[in-house]
Amino acid sequence: MQVHVPGPWSPLFGRLTLDQIPYNIPILQYTFAGAMLAAIVVVGAVLYFKKVGYFWREWLTTVDHKKIGVMYIVIGLVMLFRGFADGLLIRTQQVLANGPNAPGYMGAQHGFLPPFHFDQVYSAHGTIMILFAATPILTGFQNIVVPLQLGARDMAFPYMNALSLWLTAGAAGLVMLSLFVGDFSAAGWVGLIPLTELPYSPSTGVDYWMWAIQISSVGTTLNAINMIVTIVEMRAPGMTWFRMPIFSWTTLSTNIIGLTAFPVLGVALALLGADRYLGTHFFTAGMGGNLMLYTNLFWLWGHPEVYFLILPVFGILSEVVPTFCEKPLFGYVTMVAASFAIAGVSWVVWLHHFFTMGAGPDINGFFSVATMLVGIPTGVKVFNWAFTMYRARITYTVPMLWAMFGLFLLLAGGLTGMMLAIPAVNYTVHDSVFVIAHFHCMVLLVVAAAFAGVSYWFPKVFGFRLDESWGKAFFWTFSIATLIVFTAMFALGFEGETRRLDWTFNTAWKPMLVVEEIGMILYVISLACFALMLVFSIVNRKKNAAGPDAWGTSRTLEWLTPSPVPFYNFAVTPQVNTRDELAWRRKHGLDKAQPEHFEAIHMPSNTGMPFVIGMLAAVWGFAMIWRIWWLAAISLTALIVCVIIRSFYKNEGYHLQPEEIAAMERDLALGSVVSEQPDRSHHHYSHVEAH
Amino acid sequence: MAHQAAPDANTRLFAPGFAGHSQISARTLGFWLYMLSDALLFTALFAAYAVLDTPMNAAGGPIASQIVNPVEGFWQTIAILGSVTAYSLATVALKTGNRAGVMLGIVAAMVLAVVFLGFGFNDLATLTAQGNGMDRSGYLSAYFVLILTHAIHMLFGLIWMLVMLVQIPRDGFNEMVVARLLNLRMFWQFQATVWVCVYIYVYMIGA
Amino acid sequence: MAGSHSDPLAHPEVRMGGAMRYIAGFISTVALMGAALIVTLRHDMGYETYVEVVGGLAALALLSQAVLFYGLDISRAQIWKSVSLILTVPLFIITVGLTVWMFQSLDQRTMVMPNSAAAATQPTLLQ
Repeated sequence: MQVHVPGPWSPLFGRLTLDQIPYNIPILQYTFAGAMLAAIVVVGAVLYFKKVGYFWREWLTTVDHKKIGVMYIVIGLVMLFRGFADGLLIRTQQVLANGPNAPGYMGAQHGFLPPFHFDQVYSAHGTIMILFAATPILTGFQNIVVPLQLGARDMAFPYMNALSLWLTAGAAGLVMLSLFVGDFSAAGWVGLIPLTELPYSPSTGVDYWMWAIQISSVGTTLNAINMIVTIVEMRAPGMTWFRMPIFSWTTLSTNIIGLTAFPVLGVALALLGADRYLGTHFFTAGMGGNLMLYTNLFWLWGHPEVYFLILPVFGILSEVVPTFCEKPLFGYVTMVAASFAIAGVSWVVWLHHFFTMGAGPDINGFFSVATMLVGIPTGVKVFNWAFTMYRARITYTVPMLWAMFGLFLLLAGGLTGMMLAIPAVNYTVHDSVFVIAHFHCMVLLVVAAAFAGVSYWFPKVFGFRLDESWGKAFFWTFSIATLIVFTAMFALGFEGETRRLDWTFNTAWKPMLVVEEIGMILYVISLACFALMLVFSIVNRKKNAAGPDAWGTSRTLEWLTPSPVPFYNFAVTPQVNTRDELAWRRKHGLDKAQPEHFEAIHMPSNTGMPFVIGMLAAVWGFAMIWRIWWLAAISLTALIVCVIIRSFYKNEGYHLQPEEIAAMERDLALGSVVSEQPDRSHHHYSHVEAH
Repeated sequence: MAHQAAPDANTRLFAPGFAGHSQISARTLGFWLYMLSDALLFTALFAAYAVLDTPMNAAGGPIASQIVNPVEGFWQTIAILGSVTAYSLATVALKTGNRAGVMLGIVAAMVLAVVFLGFGFNDLATLTAQGNGMDRSGYLSAYFVLILTHAIHMLFGLIWMLVMLVQIPRDGFNEMVVARLLNLRMFWQFQATVWVCVYIYVYMIGA
Repeated sequence: MAGSHSDPLAHPEVRMGGAMRYIAGFISTVALMGAALIVTLRHDMGYETYVEVVGGLAALALLSQAVLFYGLDISRAQIWKSVSLILTVPLFIITVGLTVWMFQSLDQRTMVMPNSAAAATQPTLLQ
């Protein structure tokens, strides 16, 4: 029942031919050269310093939740950079291609991007930012922080945790590959239907988009299971539900959304896939398909997904604000209740993404009111943070600055969101850049919280703080750039600019487009500040070395462990006596207390299987995209066989002996070389035999 | 507030010898959560089926009442419920560590599952042969994909059962094998639960 | 992880099974489906009453599976499964219910039904 595809197809290579490699597009030539250069530098450095074995043992095969979290965040930051580059192209194209007399360069009639290429750029920008930048970064924080906050040694399923990571990495690899082999979807990150159907998008772009999302969302679902079970089953003794830190609470609520929403996305894309591969008629324009069914299923996931991103952000703010206000969080219980209220209401608002479908006043009214209801728990949270700051002794560190800027963006994005919740307003500004400016306030809140989290937890993971002055330079350039770009964009929305324009026909928009471009240049400067911040932080790492409690005012259990955290987390499981355990211990002079004796710790063994399965999933995705059926069959079979083989493993991990722990704890207490030896765990790991 | 209490002589800061959680409980809870996720997948398919179940979406092809047979569906219902009951009885034998009993129950469950799948594939093959395959209309697409998704779940269950038939004699009832047997019971039962929904909604309300 | 050294067969989720309970689950579900089949074959109810009746029978069948086969209750071993199911059931109803409501209204407003005679003899949830 294979459908007819346009263009050549051969049994051996499927749809893959040499002309699918876009070697003649100048922008991609430079990108390719840059990517190759970066790859040569990284691979060359690894080979030159003979670190191949180290990478394999300590990173690619690790099941340690902290290292997995770091890898998630690195993937997320790389993809954030890629997404930003796409955003820069979009803004530059729109300012160059303004008005009927705008000149064209590099084969474009106006500006420098032909329409088809421009469409791919904004589709990739959205897909990458939501699913391959924001999601991995936030998942990474959850991985690193939650087990530590709960007083646990690892996640409930360390092996599955690594599997989730490598599925996400494989999918991100497919998105990157689409730059150099074939093309990417040109139908928006939401997959505008029926444009994504085979007759209207005959190339493999939509397939790249579809399979990459499918593979990464399997990883996200598995991670959600892992997080929920970790929180339910693995809290330290005394860590009752209402002693749990807010970040762990929001992780729980967000992963309930992740667990239940991602299968709906899976169905929406699988049915689209059935249309493209099996010739079914779910969403086709004729033969009994229903276009709006796709839109419905997509946003049925899409709106919960928005809160899937925002709830961990609220968690990060709730950790950062009390730390630098030196006060307990105001309204802990209402914060928990608000998190779950948001998660619940997120399931009944999805139609507000397509009010203009024409479902009628009853239905638009229902979803409008439901959308406005979200404002209540969100308002509770904003007031809680505000009251925490009220009359507090605030330390304006970099994480705190990011958190305060995040609150501002939440206010701007939230209030414009309330406007959009009114169907009459929504009909007027639907698909205008006003909507874009609104949701960019929200996703930049995610970015602000991500950088708050990076600077806040960096010393916990690496043992030294990030450079404060360059961090502040990065903060101010980034936040001013944000204000410039999106204030101008709100104005353009009111002037009637619609979204996704490769040619901005109205010359009256020119001033605001120029203002936006100035903001983009400032963003580029802020990126340079970020890079310099990393460089100077590493250079000055001795000066900025951090003890267990890096900020001196933090409140939760992760700051009880040494920085960087040893691979077994806690030498002895802590007994929790109260909410904000560390703040309580510090107040009563107990925060330096050490356990009297150690007991053997059971640790899981490293394994290369998750990496292998993740890569097989990526190969399978590639084979499906190019319709190379033999490769798809082989890689899928190999994947299933790997899962079965893994179930026959008898290795149940190993035990760290008390004397080994005592020796490592002595080393850590001396604090001499901790920050320079991230591979110290390996030293001890290698001579411990599996029992 | 309670969390302001000052430490006293009975305050403990560490919990040496903390037993931690049960591996089996963590695995069954994790698997249960996966099943809830899978249930949402079927829910989305049901929503799609509901939207596409109109004469207009049949696009001139057959509608539900012309292709479903509730009496045949009843035999399928008995087969799949018999299969899950056989597997459940196998887990009763697990209580006494009776290997032969567990394996016999699994084999019986597999045989009945194959009977169930035989009915289903026969239906779909007949429809396709009549020119009413999944590419005929929006309605038939929804019908085929709903039935096939359920059947693919059953096929994975059968593969899992084969693996267990190897692992039980090889490893005995160790912690991992027991956790897998318990998870497989939930998974298998879940297929019957989905089938009850499919049977009522597609085979009866559609008839 | 000291739990890993105890006898796996002593785990509460192994102990909870019972032959009589499973057989009762089989009989009750088959009986409820049989009743629904009889109602369907008789074809003597109005469409809405009929949907309510078989829907009710299906709900009973699902409930009997939850109690008899899955063994859901509020014991320490099962409480989180019960809680997570209760939290998820509204999502099943929202997903299907709101979608049907939405498309029912949309179809009435935007779709001209070409075959209204066939529609009258073959009611579906969307009409």
